[in-house]
Amino acid sequence: MQNLALTLLLLPMFGAVIAFILGKINSKLAFWIAEIIGLALFLITLKLFMGFNEPIDIPMTWFTLGNFTIPFGIYIDELSLVMLLIATGLGFLDIHFAHDYMKKDPSQARYYAKVLFFIGGMILLVSAKDMISLFTGWEFMGLASYLLISFWHESKEPADAGMSAFLFTRFGDIFLFGAIGLLFYTSGSLDLVNLNTMATSGMIDKDMIYIISIFIFIAAIGKSGQFPLFPWLMRAMEGPTTVSALIHGATMVNSGIYIVARLFDFYVAGEALIIVAVFGAISAFIGATSALVQNELKKVLAYSTMSHLSLAFIGLGAGSLAAGMSHLVNHAVFKALLFLSAGAIIMSASHVKDLWRFGGFSKKMIGVAIFMGLGALSLSGIPPFSGFYSKDAIIATTLLNPQTNGLISTLTIIAGVLSVAYISRVWFLTFAGESRDKELFEKVKTPSFFWITLPLAIMAITTLTLGFFQDDIAKLVSGKVYEEPHVEYVLVSLLSAIVFVAFIIYMYYVKRLDITKKVASQPLMKAIHKVLFNGYYVEFFIHYFSREVVVGAGAKTINWIDTNLVDASVNGVKTLTQKIYRLFGKTHSGYAGDNSGAMIIGLLILLVILISGGAM
Amino acid sequence: MSAIEFIFAPLVLALVLSLVTRGNNSLSKYISLILFAFMLSFSINLFSQLPSKGYLDLGSFLAVKKFDFILTLQVDQLSVVMLVLTSSLLILVALSSWSMKNQAMYFNLLIAFSGAIFGVFMSTNFLWFFIFWELTLVPMYFLVGIWGAERRVYAAVKFFLYTHVASMFIILAFFLIHKESGTFDMTLVKESLLLSPVLIWWLLFIGFAVKLPIFPFHTWLPDAHVQAPAPISVLLAGVLLKMGAYAMIRMVILLLPETSQQYAWIILALGLITLFYSGFMAIYETHLKKMVAYSSISHMGLVVIAISTMSYAGLSAAVYEMLGHAFIIAPLFLIAGFLHHKTGSWQMQDMGGIMQKAPYISAIFVLAGLGALGLPGTMGFVGELSILISAIKADGVWMAVVALGSMVGAGYIIWMFRRVVYGEMSEIVQKTKFSMNPMEFLSLIIFAIAIVLFGLFPNILFDIINPIFVQYTFLGGAL
Repeated sequence: MQNLALTLLLLPMFGAVIAFILGKINSKLAFWIAEIIGLALFLITLKLFMGFNEPIDIPMTWFTLGNFTIPFGIYIDELSLVMLLIATGLGFLDIHFAHDYMKKDPSQARYYAKVLFFIGGMILLVSAKDMISLFTGWEFMGLASYLLISFWHESKEPADAGMSAFLFTRFGDIFLFGAIGLLFYTSGSLDLVNLNTMATSGMIDKDMIYIISIFIFIAAIGKSGQFPLFPWLMRAMEGPTTVSALIHGATMVNSGIYIVARLFDFYVAGEALIIVAVFGAISAFIGATSALVQNELKKVLAYSTMSHLSLAFIGLGAGSLAAGMSHLVNHAVFKALLFLSAGAIIMSASHVKDLWRFGGFSKKMIGVAIFMGLGALSLSGIPPFSGFYSKDAIIATTLLNPQTNGLISTLTIIAGVLSVAYISRVWFLTFAGESRDKELFEKVKTPSFFWITLPLAIMAITTLTLGFFQDDIAKLVSGKVYEEPHVEYVLVSLLSAIVFVAFIIYMYYVKRLDITKKVASQPLMKAIHKVLFNGYYVEFFIHYFSREVVVGAGAKTINWIDTNLVDASVNGVKTLTQKIYRLFGKTHSGYAGDNSGAMIIGLLILLVILISGGAM
Repeated sequence: MSAIEFIFAPLVLALVLSLVTRGNNSLSKYISLILFAFMLSFSINLFSQLPSKGYLDLGSFLAVKKFDFILTLQVDQLSVVMLVLTSSLLILVALSSWSMKNQAMYFNLLIAFSGAIFGVFMSTNFLWFFIFWELTLVPMYFLVGIWGAERRVYAAVKFFLYTHVASMFIILAFFLIHKESGTFDMTLVKESLLLSPVLIWWLLFIGFAVKLPIFPFHTWLPDAHVQAPAPISVLLAGVLLKMGAYAMIRMVILLLPETSQQYAWIILALGLITLFYSGFMAIYETHLKKMVAYSSISHMGLVVIAISTMSYAGLSAAVYEMLGHAFIIAPLFLIAGFLHHKTGSWQMQDMGGIMQKAPYISAIFVLAGLGALGLPGTMGFVGELSILISAIKADGVWMAVVALGSMVGAGYIIWMFRRVVYGEMSEIVQKTKFSMNPMEFLSLIIFAIAIVLFGLFPNILFDIINPIFVQYTFLGGAL
C-alpha cells in the first residue's frame, strides 16, 4: 500500500517530464502519455480506495535545520481518498476531453506536462501528513494554475490573468506560510492530525489557535476564490476551458475547503468557524448575484463556482463537516460537467463565449444539451441529483445553528435559489429558442461522441448516482456516522421556489425578450446591473489600492528616500572629500585606478620584504 | 598543491599571463577553467580532512614575528563551505563569460581574483585577512570599470571608495583587537580579553554591513551591479556579498557573542528594513537589472535576519540562504545581461513576449525567479522557511512578518515575468534574434539544476552546514 501511495505521488511528476520531452517529438505522444498516466492514477486511487482498511501513514523527514527537524510526510485516510478520487477521476476525464479541445494547439507537449504537474500537486496536497508537504502541494498547484491560465501567453489577457491569479492567491499563501512558522513555535508540531488532537485537548494557547486559524483561512479564501480575493477566479477563465474545468471548477479551488476540513477540530477549538461562515455567506451572495448578469458563459460558471464553494464553507462554518465536504464532492462533479459542457459549446462555436450570440444549440448538439441540463439540475438542487442533498443539508444546518440562523442562513437560501436562476438562464440562452447569431450558428459543428460527449455522459451519470450514496460520502469525509439534518419546511419551499424561478427565467429570456430589453433599460436596473457585472467592484478597489497605495505611494516614497536622502548623503560625503582632495590634490591623480595600482606595487614590495624577512 | 599555493599561484599566474596574452587570446580562458576546477577539487578534498571541531591547520608562512604578522592558514567547516561555493561559482562564471570581448585580460583578472578570495576564506590572521579582503577589490574594480556598461567608471569608483571607507573601520577594529588582546590570530581572540568590545563591535559591524550590504549602506550595489558585466554581477552577488556575510558571522557573531547578543535587535531591525526597503525599491524599478539587484539586496536582508537570531538553527539557515541566494540570483543576472545585450535596452517595457522567441532561456529565467520568490521545490523556499522558523523561534510570534517579504518578492518577480517574458512581443523583441553561446547556456542549466536539486533535497547541504555551528555552545539552541 505504501509503495502504491508513493507511486501515486511520483508518477504524475515523471509523467510530466516524459510527456514534455516526447511531446516535443510528436504532440500526439504527449496526449497519449497523459491519458495513460491519468488512467493509471485513477486506477491506483481506486485500488487504494477498495483495499482501504487503515490510513496509510508514511512519516518522512525532509531536512534537518540545526536542532529542528522539518518533516515531509504522507498520510492518506478516507478524506484524502475521496479528494484523490475527485482529482484523478476528473483529471483523467479532463485529459480525455482535451484530445479534441486542444487538437489544433501547437504546444500540446507543454499543455499536458503542466496538467500532469498540476494533478501531481493536487495529489500531494490531499495526501499531506503535515503543513510542509501540504504547503508544497498547495504552491505546486498555484504554480500550475498560473502557468496554465497564461497558457496562451502570447496575448495580453491570458498573461494578465495569470499574473492576477498568482498574486491574489499568493497573498493568501503567505499567511499559510506564516501559519507554518507560528505552528512550529506554539505547538512544535506540524502534523495535521496531531494538531487537531492538540488543539482539542487544550495543549495550544487558545488565542494562538484563533490567530492561526484566521491565517489559514485567509489562504483558503485566496485559493478558493472567496470574498475579497475572488477576482482572479473570473479572470482565470482566459485559460483553456479544460483548465478552467479541472483547476478552477473541480479541484484546486476545493483546496481551501479541504484545508479547513482537515483542521476542522482545530477550527472548532479556536472558535473560528463563525468567521468561515460569515465570509462564506458574503461570498455566496456576491457570487450568486453576479453570476446572474454575466455575458460570458464561463464567467457565469466562475461566479457560480465561487458561490457554491461558499456554500461548502458555510456548511463547515455552521459546524457540519459532513455537509460542507459532501457539497464539495458533489459540486466538483457537476461543476466539472458544466465546465466541460461549456468547453464543448465554445469549441463547437468557433471559440465564441458570448451567451447572447448562442441560442438554439440543442439542434446541433443534443447530447451536450442533455448532459449539461443534468448538471444544471444537480447544481440547482433537484432531487435525486447529488447537488440537492448537500445543499439541503447546508441550509438546514445553518437554520439549526443559533449562531448562523438569521442573516447567514438567509444569504445561504438566497444563494441557493439564485443558483437555479443563473444556471437555467445559461441553459436557456444557449440551447433553447432560436439562434441569435445566424452566421455563428451555421458554423457550429457537432462534437465527437467518444472524445467530447462520452466524458460528459460519465460525469452526468456520476452526479446522478452520487445522490444515492450521500450518507456514505458523509461518513467517509467526516469519519462519523452521519445523520442528515432536516428542517421540514425547507424541502417543500425550496423546491417550489426552484420551479418558480426556473419558469420566470424561461419566460424572461426565451419567450419574452422584448420585456427583458425594456427592464434592462431602466436606469436603476442599469446601475444594479453594472455593480453586479463588475463583481461589486472588488477587483477595482484592490487594483486601485495596490496601484495607488502600495506602488504609487509606498514604493514611490521609498524610492524618493533612497535617491534624495540615502544616496544623496553618500554623494555629499564624496563632494566633501573632493574638496579636501583638491587641497592636497597635487600629488594624487584622484583616479581609483592609479590608487589601486600604487597599492599593488606597495603590496608587492611588502611581500618581498616579508619573504626575505621570514626566511631569516 | 598546498593551500598557500592556491592563494599565490593564481596571483603570480595572472601576472605572467598578462605578459603573454593580449586581446582575444583564449589561453587564459582555458587555464582559468582548469585552475578553478583544481580549486574546487582542493576545497572538496579539504572536507575529508576537517576535524569535527575547531580548525584544520594548513601552515603558517611569511612570518614577521615582531609584528605578529604571520600568514596563518586555517580552515573550519564554514570556510570550506565558502571555498566550495566560491570555486564552483568561479567555474560557472568562467563558462558564462565564454564569449567576452577582450577576454585575455578579463580572465587574467578573474584568476587574480580567485587567489585573493581564497586568501580571504583561508587566512585566520586579521592583517592578512584584511590584505586579501582589499586585494579582491582590485580585480573587481577593473572588471567593472573596463567591461562594464555606459556609466561603468562612476560605478566602479563608487564601489571602490564605498567599500574602501568601510575597510577603514575594519582595520581600525583589527588594530584595537591587537592592542587589547595582543594577537592578530582570530582563533585566539576571546571576547573576555577585550577591553572595549562595544567599540570594536560597532566598527566591525559597520565595516561588514557595507559589504553585505545592509540598509543604509547599500547604494553602491545597484550601481555596481547595473554597470558590471553580467558574469561579474554574479561574482558580486555570489561571492563578494558572501564575504560580508561570512565575516559578519565569523568576526561579529562568533567572535563577540556577548556584545552581539546585546545588539541583536539592531541587526534584526536593519535586516527587516533591508528586506522590505529593497523589496519595495524592486517593485518600483523599471530597469531590469537594477530590479534584480534590489531583489538580491532584499534576500541578503533575510540572511541578516537569520544571523541576528544568534541561534544554531538561525545561523545554519543563514548559510543555506547564502548558498541559495548565490545560485538563484546568478541566472537572473546572467539572463538580464543577456537580454540587454540582445535588445540593447534595460527597460522592462521595451521587452515582453521573450518566451516566444527564446523559450528555454525564458524557462530558466522563470525558474530562477520562482526561486527568488520562494516557491517550494526551489532553494528559495527552503531558505525562507528555515529563516522564518528560526526567526520565530528566536524572536517570537511577530516575526511572522518575514513571510510578508515573500509577498513583496512575488509582487516584483511576477510583475517582471509579465513585462519581460510573457505577453505580446514588443517591436524590439520582434526584431531581435536571441541566440546564446552554448557555454553560457550550459552554465545557466547548471544553475537551474542546482536550484531544483538542492531545493528538493536540502539535506545534501544541511548535512554539511549543520556541523558548522554545533561547536559554538553559546548559540541559542545549540546542542
